[in-house]
Amino acid sequence: MLVGIPLEQSNSVIKPKDCASEMSEYIVAVAEERCKRSFARVFSYFAPRLRSYALKQMGNEALAMELVQDTMSNVWQKAHLFNSEKGSPSTWIFTIARNIRFDMLRKLQNRKEDVCSDDLWPVLCEQTADANETSLDEQITLEQIGFMFESLPVKQKAVIEAIYIDGKSQQEVADELSIPLGTVKSRTRLALQRLKGMLNDHD
Amino acid sequence: MTKFHPAPEQLSEFAQGALASVESLMISAHCDMCARCQQVVAQQTVLQAEHALMDTQDDPATKTHDFQDDSKLDSMLESITQLPRATPSKTSRSGSRKIIELDGRVFTIPRTLRKYVPFMGNWSSLVGKLWQAPVDVGVSGVANFIYIGQGGSIPEHTHRGTEYTLVINGEFSDGLNHYRKGDFIKMNESDIHAPYSDDISGCLIFSILDQPLHFTAGIARLLNPFSHLFFRY
Repeated sequence: MLVGIPLEQSNSVIKPKDCASEMSEYIVAVAEERCKRSFARVFSYFAPRLRSYALKQMGNEALAMELVQDTMSNVWQKAHLFNSEKGSPSTWIFTIARNIRFDMLRKLQNRKEDVCSDDLWPVLCEQTADANETSLDEQITLEQIGFMFESLPVKQKAVIEAIYIDGKSQQEVADELSIPLGTVKSRTRLALQRLKGMLNDHD
Repeated sequence: MTKFHPAPEQLSEFAQGALASVESLMISAHCDMCARCQQVVAQQTVLQAEHALMDTQDDPATKTHDFQDDSKLDSMLESITQLPRATPSKTSRSGSRKIIELDGRVFTIPRTLRKYVPFMGNWSSLVGKLWQAPVDVGVSGVANFIYIGQGGSIPEHTHRGTEYTLVINGEFSDGLNHYRKGDFIKMNESDIHAPYSDDISGCLIFSILDQPLHFTAGIARLLNPFSHLFFRY
């Protein structure tokens, strides 16, 4: 009676958590070897499930299939971002689909909003993004900063020292040095511009 | 320690991606500062994933399992595996900034809001020890960083719409409660409050408001015709 039905059909009764480690291995194989067979396993398990989730969410067959396609394309192209220590394959794939759905719905409503799913849930961010963000802090040693600081004109240095090292407000500095607040502000601005220039040269 | 959190249902809906942009943004920024809610969202995400991707067999709504569907999925599989591996690219985050400054004070901004720091206007001094800088978040409504210096206060007011507030640094009170770094506050028409800060380093908050404030007490009532001043575009 079951003759002719592909084996994969039985997938639908296996719960996601019961095949998590198996699916993890397939995704790793996709990441490391671009293994199409492994991807086909992941696809045949998740695509029909995603399709039924997408149908409920989008209420439209074409949009639902678009959601499935975008989600599974990301799984294929960004499998290297999957980390089995952080979560199961089904959670990872769900979060990709949820993000795409969030952005699709916003686009459909024609909102000109600048909020996108990546900002809310950074699921598919390259790990290097954070490293880049902190690189400036890490690559430049305190010693180098000290050197740059020393090369500032004396008056700018005094203002920067009072504000950034002693934690005084600009008004306090103005009172202490008996100079107008505007002068403190312009010295701060000039000093920061100069430091910024030196940091950029450093790169 | 953070004491005011989004409601459990809000966190659950956030994990589903079911909330509007503004609310999602504020909850995400709160989670950046709150390990507890981060964990709740992570747990909810696992549950939602299980629920969303569970057995498809018994669901009559989607049980239109026919050969046409299978062939659509087959050709989809075929076309996906033709795609190249994604080249690592820097995300839009590259334009973000971690830090804002006011009068020599430096504040670290939670991850979710960093993207909007470049879209921040100049600080302007309001009454008393109050400073405000508008932020173009691109959503309907108005977003501001507000700094309440030590001893500073905002006149008592109610809200015509919904106001989401997040404490980024320091502490403030409002006659109802005392709020600390990370606290998430959602207020609407029925809430009247008068925020003030006794914190020695003042208090920096981020707020999104979808309608002008409505001042309720004393001389500040005179501000009402001008409440758009607190609500700049």
